[in-house]
Amino acid sequence: MSLIELKKISKIYHETKVPVTALREISLSIEKGDFAALVGPSGSGKTTALNIIGGLDTPTSGEVFIEEHNLADLKSEELINFRLHHIGFVFQAYNLIPVFTARENVEFIMLLQKMPKAERTRRAAELLTAVGLNDRIDSRPTELSGGQQQRVAVARALASRPSFVLADEPTANLDSTSALGLLQIMETLNHDYEMTFIFSTHDPRVIKRAHRVITLEDGRVVSDAININAHDD
Amino acid sequence: MLISLAWKNVWRNKKRSIIILTAIAIGLGSGLFASAVMYGMWDATVNTSINRDLGHIQIHTPDFQKDALITKDIPDYSKAITILQDEPNVVGVADRTILEGMASSATSSAGVKIVAVNPTAEKTISDLYQNIVAGQYLDVEKANAIIIGKTLAEKLDLHLNSKIVLSFQGLDESIMYNAYRIIGIFDTESSIFDGVNVFIRQNELFSLLESPPFVHEIVVRLNTIKNLEPAMAKFQIDLPALKVESWKELAPELSLMYDMLTLYLNIFLGIILFALLFGITNTTLMAVMDRIREFGVLMAVGMKRKRLVGLIMLETIALSISGGAVGILLGVILTQIFATTGINLAFLAKGLSSLGVSSMLCPSLPFSTYPTLTGMIIVTAVLSAIAPARKAIKLNPSSAIRTY
Repeated sequence: MSLIELKKISKIYHETKVPVTALREISLSIEKGDFAALVGPSGSGKTTALNIIGGLDTPTSGEVFIEEHNLADLKSEELINFRLHHIGFVFQAYNLIPVFTARENVEFIMLLQKMPKAERTRRAAELLTAVGLNDRIDSRPTELSGGQQQRVAVARALASRPSFVLADEPTANLDSTSALGLLQIMETLNHDYEMTFIFSTHDPRVIKRAHRVITLEDGRVVSDAININAHDD
Repeated sequence: MLISLAWKNVWRNKKRSIIILTAIAIGLGSGLFASAVMYGMWDATVNTSINRDLGHIQIHTPDFQKDALITKDIPDYSKAITILQDEPNVVGVADRTILEGMASSATSSAGVKIVAVNPTAEKTISDLYQNIVAGQYLDVEKANAIIIGKTLAEKLDLHLNSKIVLSFQGLDESIMYNAYRIIGIFDTESSIFDGVNVFIRQNELFSLLESPPFVHEIVVRLNTIKNLEPAMAKFQIDLPALKVESWKELAPELSLMYDMLTLYLNIFLGIILFALLFGITNTTLMAVMDRIREFGVLMAVGMKRKRLVGLIMLETIALSISGGAVGILLGVILTQIFATTGINLAFLAKGLSSLGVSSMLCPSLPFSTYPTLTGMIIVTAVLSAIAPARKAIKLNPSSAIRTY
């Protein structure tokens, strides 16, 4: 079975008077080691799909299986625990804890996993070194550039040893250099550790480097292609 | 790390935290100082009573307090005195012979308690001799000497050197009369005490009654009130046939007053904290509203709701305890300053005197106030955190993350 299986997922929002259909019976399989981009215009359902894969939102119909666990079978607290141990998140706006240093932000996820202090410290240093921030370990988010903050966010996402990482528009707030640097790090982690990355993006630089490109339009998957031209700049 | 996060979060909006912290500090500091003044008033009342006539411990025959008859004297009292004097924590022992009687002047009469004392021994347990405002104490050689209170003197229109006639029941149940000369007038903190007690010399009473010495009451003074309980326990064993009572049993109104005071002050501090509860809730709620997206992220990455509640509770407790600590410090400083200088309520002296309360107050706080208050602050903090915590745990992570 695939790492992630979406089966006929539909999502209809009833937040306004007129219901809005965000996803229309999409089915999708993500394999371990994928470096996949969800692309499409605004309102195509990219973020909704990521939220549903990440268990942050529930589908109106259909089923989500992650490592053979049906997310619908998990109660609210079990789902939070599942996310803690299986899914890493990277957000567009970084969303680091502002009062914590880079190291503390990375360590915090491991604290939630009840990892011993010594192991937390060691692993946080390792991860921050892996994302090129070994010299900014004790800096607070306000002392870091956007690109550096997003790299801390990637280190945080990996801290819990997740099965895969979901990244919602990870380069949207970054300049070209920072965006390319971040992509380089994500690709290296994908290549060296077979870490699965699924990211939503509009960014052609990201799309160009994705190994797999899944295109959504009006809540439907209109194409799912291996990017044989994926390459480093 | 969660505690560290909570503490850092408290100071994310310094201005807001300092405002509520100041409110807590001023509220609790003032409340504590007001409590200290009330406790100081109680302390003054108790110490005045102990120093004036009560002593720390009194010994009687078991039924003396019931009807106070002249015949209810302590058998073999000198042996009891020796036992009491042998206790190392005892600094004074005095025996008294007590009679109920009438005091009459040329114009009026009043019921009085006639206390016959050995002046030298009495001075080891009572500071009444320091309250003589006219004339002298009983330790001078003058026949048929008596000292009376200022209130009684005014009531019977008596002055220094005036003659006063005491009538009381003799040992043979006959009524006896004897005239005394007022050699001293005392004025204590209690107008009630001054209105009913007269003091004469024991040896003159025994001569008048043509009786060998007999004693109704032995008063014990300890080096410190802290030794009261062990001394009581020892005397109750050593003097099994006698009734050994502490000042708390002899003056139950003072003990009750303490309990009532503690209850009243806890309610008073509780009202202050209840008012502060709304301020703390408001501050914490604002802090939660400012961090909706952050809470969404925390839940998304795997922070369970109960941990989120714990974090908000910790933040509220940290804020409240900080304010509480500053408030307690403020209260302690104010109490210490006024404990040294005292608070002079001379303008209320007459009214306070009728209650047996000194007009010079030295604020004091019993140590038990601090743990009680700390517990109350923590309860307030937890209650304050309920509404903000409910708000946070109801968040949907996906929509919270989209909040700006």
